[in-house]
Amino acid sequence: MIKLQNVSKIYQLGEDKVEAVNKVSLHIKAGEYCGILGSSGSGKSTLMYLIGLLDRPSSGKIIINGDDVSKLSDVELSKVRNHKIGFVFQSFNLISRFTVLENVLMPTKYTKGKLDFDVHKKAEELLKKFGIYERRNFFPNKISGGQQQRVAIARALIMNPSVIIADEPTGNLDTKTGNEIIKLLESLNKELGVTVIIVTHEKDIADRTNRRIYMKLYTGTV
Amino acid sequence: MVMPGSGFNSSSGFGAGLVGGVEFDEKDASSVSRVAGVEYTVPLYMSTVKAEAGGNETTAYLFGVNEDYFNLMNEEAEFGELFTKSDVSSKAKVAVIGSKVAEELYGDDENAIGKTVRFEGMRIKVIGVVANTGDSQHDTSIVIPYKTTFGSVNPDKTFWAIYVGVSSKEDIESVKEEIKSVLSKRYSEDDFSITEQTEILSMINQIFDILNIVLVAIGSISLVVGGIGIMNIMYATVTERTKEIGVMRAIGATERDILLQFLTESLILSVFGGLLGLIGASLTVLVVRIFFPASISLFAVIITFAISSGIGIFFGVFPARRAARLSPIEAIRYE
Ligand SMILES: Nc1ncnc2c1ncn2[C@@H]1O[C@H](COP(=O)(O)OP(=O)(O)O)[C@@H](O)[C@H]1O
Ligand SMILES: [Mg+2]
Repeated sequence: MIKLQNVSKIYQLGEDKVEAVNKVSLHIKAGEYCGILGSSGSGKSTLMYLIGLLDRPSSGKIIINGDDVSKLSDVELSKVRNHKIGFVFQSFNLISRFTVLENVLMPTKYTKGKLDFDVHKKAEELLKKFGIYERRNFFPNKISGGQQQRVAIARALIMNPSVIIADEPTGNLDTKTGNEIIKLLESLNKELGVTVIIVTHEKDIADRTNRRIYMKLYTGTV
Repeated sequence: MVMPGSGFNSSSGFGAGLVGGVEFDEKDASSVSRVAGVEYTVPLYMSTVKAEAGGNETTAYLFGVNEDYFNLMNEEAEFGELFTKSDVSSKAKVAVIGSKVAEELYGDDENAIGKTVRFEGMRIKVIGVVANTGDSQHDTSIVIPYKTTFGSVNPDKTFWAIYVGVSSKEDIESVKEEIKSVLSKRYSEDDFSITEQTEILSMINQIFDILNIVLVAIGSISLVVGGIGIMNIMYATVTERTKEIGVMRAIGATERDILLQFLTESLILSVFGGLLGLIGASLTVLVVRIFFPASISLFAVIITFAISSGIGIFFGVFPARRAARLSPIEAIRYE
């Protein structure tokens, strides 16, 4: 489903070159539950943004559902992100001006054309399932971190994506709530068959996944 | 054509600063009319009044003149008729009104004929309507025989100007001299002035031209300053929301979506500014209306919204483009 062939990402910092991702080849199949493990600064986030089509590689090829990403326009990439990929971030990244429900509905606002499901019903279903329906009209700063991350996962799921990419989703949470979030992501993979990619530096979390990809520090390789 | 006088009526405040303050009376009018070469003499009483008819009200210029006024101004009745010499001498309660007054009070020009208009405690019958001249002073005027003003409106029986028409252009200079010497017998020379209409017109035009240039200059500067203000606000907004922009890109917003979103915001900002300006202008006009006829045209409203939208788009494009061109990952990593 997502294939990386010899993908590198090099940041140019003045004279210095940072090879955040170096000649990585990967194949992530539909329905996988996969962990990307590595210490801080090893290039996990960079790799994740490449897989999530937020960034283009310096060299190498990324193929998603048979399409070469380098041949897709901004509009096409945005469409893939909108329909197929759901992002979950370490710092939740909810929009503070909008309520919980509005945040969950955000991705549907960027969809061109009509959707074949009732977005409001779907949003309410997700909020109910995650136990935050009562908080739907709250603003993000009025709910706890665990609840915010649930809202973020609901937002990632609203478009029925085939992949969820979570970048250190437990990084800003205590161990207990973190575990709940991981269980939630796990259940999405088991029950809905969504491909889940979790980026983490915590070994405990990675151990629960079905497949582990280790990033090595300084070399940017897998 | 010579316009002597303009020893203004100090209480009405017209022409302030132009000339010192005598007020002419009928005696002056008749002595001016006896000057050789003068074809007709029009004494002019002028004030603003609140006119009322059938529940409608409007502010208008009231002119008290004689029948020659219409020759002098080249005015003809579009509907009804003009008043005559006998109307003047009989103090007839009749009026010829401008088309704007007719519209405000009676809905349309033709409808006004035969109706009554009330102001300053007088009831006057409208016998004629003058076609729209495009000149706001004439279109918002109520013209009545000058003798009819004697009484409640003009108890002192004075005029603030006397218009004079001459039979031939060559006579203008000599008529001017003659009128000056006639009036000098009663008034000191500093107390009145004699101006050719072309002179006074070009003078007024010049003043308005300068005023216009100054206003347009102030307006343009304000627009540019306002536009730059909006641009700065939008740049600040873009910076402040960098992370949000990154998130929106991640959940599927295209560059175009982001561009349009910020452009819309700057448009809303500038159109709101235009709206505030219009409200300010309306309040000013409401105050000015008490003294002079004034209004805001639909054209001015349209222009206001057109220009403020233009400013919003022009100055909003740069910040909106910056927002759209942010790299999604750098926006997301931004703290
Ligand atoms: N925009 C950037 N410009 C320059 N260097 C960057 C940029 N983003 C990340 N890096 C560098 O790339 C390396 C990998 O970063 P990252 O992918 O965030 O690692 P991780 O998520 O594993 O902590 C780090 O050394 C980081 O400093
Ligand atoms: Mg990271």
